[in-house]
Parts: sequence; C-alpha cells; structure tokens
Amino acid sequence: MTTVKNPNHGKVKDKDFGLIQAINSGQVDKFNELVKRYEQKLYNFSLRMCHDHSDAEDMVQDTFLNVFKYLKDFRYETKFKNWLYKVAASTCIKKKRKSKFAPERELSLDEFRPGDEAAAAEQVPEWALMPLDKLLNEELSSVIHQAILSIPRKYRMVIVLRDIEGFSTAETAQILNLSPANVKVRLHRARLYLRDKLKGYFKNVQ
Amino acid sequence: MCNDDHDHKHCLEMFEKLSEYIDGELDHATCEKIEKHAENCVACFSCLETLKRTVALCKNVTEKPIPLKLSQKLKEIIRNIPKTTTL
Repeated sequence: MTTVKNPNHGKVKDKDFGLIQAINSGQVDKFNELVKRYEQKLYNFSLRMCHDHSDAEDMVQDTFLNVFKYLKDFRYETKFKNWLYKVAASTCIKKKRKSKFAPERELSLDEFRPGDEAAAAEQVPEWALMPLDKLLNEELSSVIHQAILSIPRKYRMVIVLRDIEGFSTAETAQILNLSPANVKVRLHRARLYLRDKLKGYFKNVQ
Repeated sequence: MCNDDHDHKHCLEMFEKLSEYIDGELDHATCEKIEKHAENCVACFSCLETLKRTVALCKNVTEKPIPLKLSQKLKEIIRNIPKTTTL
C-alpha cells in the first residue's frame, strides 16, 4: 500500500501541493494539470540547455516521465517547482553524459579581468545606459539566446536558473547539488562571459 | 580616477564581488566600499553598469510558447503510461 505524504506537516507553502496530493492519492488523471502548469516553463528551460530543438523536446518529455515516476517520493519539503527543476537538471546532465561531446571548458576569472589598456579607454557604453525597453528587440533576444547557449553548460545552468528562472542562490544550490559559494562563483563567470558576448555584439552594431 | 592603473588592488577586489553586489548579497560595509570606488574609477563603474545591464537583459528575456505538437505529444505520452506501475 502506498503511503501518501501529508503536505501540511512541512513548513513550505506551495500552490501545487494540493494537486500533487490528489495525484498521489490516486487521481492520476490530474497529472495532466501539473504538466499544463509547467510545460511552457520547462520547454523554455530545455531550449536554453540544449542546442537542438528536438533535444529540448526530448528533455521536456523525459523530465515529465521522471516526475511521474518519482512523484510519490516527493516530500513536500521544497516547492514543487524547485523539485521539478532538480529533476530537469538531472535529466539534462544524464542526457549529456550519454552524448559524445568533448568535455566543456572551464571559465577562469582571469580571462574576464579588464586589461590596463582596455580599461583606461572604457567609458560606460550606450547599451548599458539606454532604457531597457528601447534596447530589447527580436534581434537582441536572439543574440542573447545564442550567447547563452555558448556558455559552457555547468555555468549556463547556473545563470539560467538564477537570472532567467529567478531562483535564489540557495535554491539554485539545492537544485544543482552545489554549495552556495560554488553557485556564486559560476554565476559571476557566466555573467562576465555573457557580458563580453554582448559587448562584442554592440561594438559591431554601433 | 584610477584609469591609468586598472590592475589596482581595489579594482581587482571589486571585480570579483560585482555579481554579489548586484544581487545584494554583500554586507553594508563592503557595498559602501564598492560604491565609493566605483564613483572614482570610470573603468570599474563601466564594468559594473555593463554587468548590471547583462543581468537585467537576462531577467527580461521573453518565453517562447510551447509548440502545440509537443503539448499534444506530452498528453499522449501521459495517457499511455501504465498507471499501475507507479503511484
């Protein structure tokens, strides 16, 4: 017999707990509702983690299959969304291990330190000063998407979770099984990498 | 101004902490130190502003809608999972 864990025992409050409890109590058809709540978010997360559209679609499918498989083990100690992203990140990492890509490079802080010469000439560029809504357009969105995809994956996962998905440092650390200090180190390097890509883009368009 | 010597100790110290500063994860004294330094160092101020803008752009990227085909495929997959093997 399956024991249904009670969400009311934990301190975490989450809009999804009722639905999960219903699914785990036997109303399995309600799983569709859970999928509907998160399919778009997960699809966008997958697009940022996979270079290929069909890989992203596979990642969404595999993640939901894993969620279905392990939902009975959900302990209501964290928000469902955080647990979902933990499953998604783990699905993505396993998928990557099976592929034949070369190991991704490490980003070092040294490569982003401004040199004396460059720094001396540097004023705040226009793209950092103009209103955000005037700056964002379809072309820039596409540039950002491609630039994010070019960040080595272990750094990319952190910047996507922190700056796009909006998880805190502590939540990101929990999702990726990293220490908060490690999350901060990876995030800083990923941001500096992305900033360099954007600087390059704006230098060419101006 | 410290433009003629960017590899200054304070510049490097600040450079390492910029993300934590942007995220409000530093103590008050360190924040004040960074702000004071950025006021007088054009290069570090520029570095901070471009990094802030990078973060803001990330936070404002739009989501793509999930393709209808994928959404339907998910429904189909879920419908066909043997329900007795789980839950």
